[in-house]
Amino acid sequence: MRIIDLTLKDLSQIFRDKRSLLFLVAMPIIFTLFMGFAYKSGKDEDAVQDNRIPLGWVNNDPGGVVSQELFEMLSNSDSIRVVELAAAAANDSVRKGEVAGVLIAPAGYSEQAEAGDDPQLTLVTDTNSAQGQSIYQLLRTSVTKVMSAMEIARLSAGMTGKPADASELDAAFASASRAWAEADSASLVKVELAVEESFLGDWYGDNPYNQASPGILVQFAIMGLVSSGQILVQERKTRTLQRMMSTSMRSWEIIAGHTLAMFGVVFLQIALLVVFGQLALGVDYLRSPLGALLVSVALSLWVAAMGMLIGAMVKDDSQVILFALMAMFIFSALGGTWFPLEVSSGAFALIGKAMPSAWAMNGYQNILIRGLGLESAWLPTGMLLVYALGFFVLAVWRFRKMDM
Amino acid sequence: MKIVDIALKDLVRSTRSLFLIGMAFAAPLLLTGLIYLAFGSIASGNLSLPDITLGVVNADALPADAPLDASFGESIRSMFFDESVRSWITASDYPDEAAARAAVDAQEIGVAVIIPAAFTEDYLAGKKDTVITILQDPTLSIGPTVVRDMVTSLLDGIAGGGIAFNVLNERLAANGQMLDPASIPSFFERYAAWYTDFQRAMFHSPEKAALVVTSPAAESEMSDPVRSMMGMMMSGQLIFFSFFTGAYAMMSILQESEEGTLARLFTTPTDRTTILAGKFLAVLFTVIIQGVVLLVAGHYLFGINWGEPGSLTLSLLGQMFASVGLAVLLVSFVQNSKQGGLVFGGALTMLGMISGLFTANIEIKAFDLMGNFTPQGWVLKAWKLSLAGSPANELVAPFLVLATMGVVMFAIGAVMFRRRFA
Repeated sequence: MRIIDLTLKDLSQIFRDKRSLLFLVAMPIIFTLFMGFAYKSGKDEDAVQDNRIPLGWVNNDPGGVVSQELFEMLSNSDSIRVVELAAAAANDSVRKGEVAGVLIAPAGYSEQAEAGDDPQLTLVTDTNSAQGQSIYQLLRTSVTKVMSAMEIARLSAGMTGKPADASELDAAFASASRAWAEADSASLVKVELAVEESFLGDWYGDNPYNQASPGILVQFAIMGLVSSGQILVQERKTRTLQRMMSTSMRSWEIIAGHTLAMFGVVFLQIALLVVFGQLALGVDYLRSPLGALLVSVALSLWVAAMGMLIGAMVKDDSQVILFALMAMFIFSALGGTWFPLEVSSGAFALIGKAMPSAWAMNGYQNILIRGLGLESAWLPTGMLLVYALGFFVLAVWRFRKMDM
Repeated sequence: MKIVDIALKDLVRSTRSLFLIGMAFAAPLLLTGLIYLAFGSIASGNLSLPDITLGVVNADALPADAPLDASFGESIRSMFFDESVRSWITASDYPDEAAARAAVDAQEIGVAVIIPAAFTEDYLAGKKDTVITILQDPTLSIGPTVVRDMVTSLLDGIAGGGIAFNVLNERLAANGQMLDPASIPSFFERYAAWYTDFQRAMFHSPEKAALVVTSPAAESEMSDPVRSMMGMMMSGQLIFFSFFTGAYAMMSILQESEEGTLARLFTTPTDRTTILAGKFLAVLFTVIIQGVVLLVAGHYLFGINWGEPGSLTLSLLGQMFASVGLAVLLVSFVQNSKQGGLVFGGALTMLGMISGLFTANIEIKAFDLMGNFTPQGWVLKAWKLSLAGSPANELVAPFLVLATMGVVMFAIGAVMFRRRFA
C-alpha cells in the first residue's frame, strides 16, 4: 500500500508540470509525423521523377567497339541514367553530387579487350554512400556481360580458325552482345518477403510510418530515463528521501514505488503513441493488441527500472542528464532505433542484438512488419522483463549504498 | 568590461562542471568510438558485408541426359557452403520450403534460397517459368540483396555458357563449318575458366578487376575510406555536442535565477543587455574551445582531415553562430533548469536525429530533406563540403544561412529574456 501511495505522490507531482508533460507527449507525436512525412514525400518524389542513378561517362576510347557496346548497354538500363562528361569534370561532378559516379574508359580499352588482355575501367565514386554502392553493383553486371561477349567472340573466332580476323571477331562480339541483351537471369529469381499471407499489401513498404513510429516510440520511451532518474535526485535535494528513510519503509519499497510511477508515465507515453500511430497514421499495432501491450509494458518497466538505477548512482540533476543521455545514445544506437542493426558488423551487431532496446524493436517489428501474432511477442517481452528485473535489483543495491 | 567579467565568471564555472566537460569533450569522442566499432569492417577499409544467415532448400536434381556434372541447384547450394564465403555466410540446409519459412519467421535465418525441383531440366529445355525463390525477412535488405546478386551472377555464368555455345554454332555456320563434338568440352572449359577468373578478380582482387573503384577526393589522404568515414561520423558528433554544450552553458542564466545571484546582479547598475551579452560571450568561447579541441582530437585520434583552412573556419564559425543562437532561443523558452534538462535532451536529440547527425555516414534521403529546416542540418552540410575538400567559396552559402539562423534565433531569445526579466 505504501508503494502505491508513493507512486500516486510521484504521479501527481509529474502531472503538475504541464510543460514537461507536453514535451513527453507532443514531441514524439510531432517527430513521428515529421519523419513519416519525410519518408512519404521522398517516395512520392521518387514516383514522379526520373529515379535512375546518374552515372557520368568519360570515354577516352572513342570508336572502340567494346566501350561503345558498354555505353549502349548502360544507356538502355532502367536503373542508370548516363551523363556524358569531359575527363576534367569527373571528380567535381561526383564531389558535388551531380552524378553518383563516373565511369572512365581508358584509351585503347577496346583494343586491349580484343587482344585478350585485361583492360580496366575506372569508377570514380564514394563507396561509403548508398548510391556509390548501388552504382558499383550495377556496373559489375554490365561490365561482366560486355567482357564476356568479347571473350566468347575471341573463343569463337579461334574455333573458326580466324583468331586474328577483325571482322570475324566483330561479328561474333555483336552476336554475343545481342544474346546478352536478351538474356535476363534476374527473371529466374523471385524475391518474396516472409510476412503472413493475410498481412501482404500492408507491410513496411506500403506505410512509411511502420518504420518511423516504433523507432521514435522506443527512443522516446528511453528518453523517459531523464524524468525517471530525476525523481530520486529531487527527493534527495528536498530532503524528502531522508525523511522517508526514517520511516519503516524499506529500500526496495521506495525504489518500487518510484519505479511504478515512472512505469505509469512511460507507459502512458507509449500508449498515446500507439493510439496515435493506429488512428492517425494507420500503423496497425492493434492487429495483435495483446502482443503490442506486452511489449509496451515490458519496455516501460525496463526504462523505469534503469532510470532508478541512474537516479541512485548520481548526485545532481546535471549528472542525471549526462548519464541518461549517454544511456539513451548507447541503447538507441546499439538497439537499432537509428539504423537497422543489419548494417553494423562484428561485436557491435552481436552486442546490439542483445540490447533491451533491440528486443523492444524486435517485438514491435514482429507485429508491424513481419505480420506475426501474439506468440511472436513472448520472447521480446520476456527478455525485456529480465532486463527490467536486473536493473531494478541493481537500483535497490545502489540505493542502499547511497550516501544521503 | 562588465561583459568580460560576466563571461569570465561563467567560463570558470563551466570548467568546474564535470557535466559540461563530459558532454563537451568526453561524450562526442566516446560516441564516435562506439559508432566506429559499429561500422568496423567498413572503417577498416574493407567494404565487407554483414554476416548473413542463410537457409538452402535444394529440390533440384540432375536430369539423366544432361551434359553436366551437377545440377544448377547443387552449384548454387555449393556456392553458399564454399570455404571462401564461410566467414560471412552461415548456410544451413532445410528439407523443404515450409521448414525454411518457419526458420525465417523464427529469425533463425535472415534469408532462404528455395530451388525448385526440375530447375535444371526446365532451364535446359528453355522453360523460363521455373524460378528460384529468395525468401527474406522483411526487416532486412543488405543480406538478401547480396544473396540475390550471388544467385543471379551464377545464373549469368550459366547463361554465358549457353550464349557462347550458340554464338560458336552461329559463327561456324556462317563460315560454312561444322561443330566438332570433341571440341565442345574444351571450349566450355576455356570459357568457364575465364569466367571464374574474371569473377574472382572482380570480387576478391580489386586491383586486378575489370572495374577499379577510386574516390573522388583530390588529395590522396582523403581517398582513405577510414578517414573519410570517421570524418563524417565525427562531424555528426561534433555538431550535436556543440549545440548541447551551447544550450547547457547558456542555462547558467536559469541556474543563477534559481540560486538568486541573477536577482542580485539586477540590483547592480548593470544593464540587462550587458548581462545577456556577457553570458552570450561565455557560451561563444565555450563552443569555440570545444570545437577546436574536438577538431584537433579528431585529427590525431582518427586521422581526420577536416578540409582546407578556409572551409574549416567557415564551418566552425557557422556551427558556432547556429549553436549559440539556438541556445539562447531554447533557454528563453524553459522556466527552470529541471525543465531545461528534459527539453534540451529531447529537442536537441530529435533535431540531431532528423538532421542525420547520428547517421552522417549513411545516405538517408529523408534526413537530407529534413536537414534543410534545421540549423544542425545546415552545419552538417557545411562540414560535409569541408570534409570533401571543397574550397571556401563553396561554403559561403551554408555559412550565410547559418549566420542568419543564428542571428534570428538569438534576437527572438533576447526579446523573450528581456520580457521575462523586465
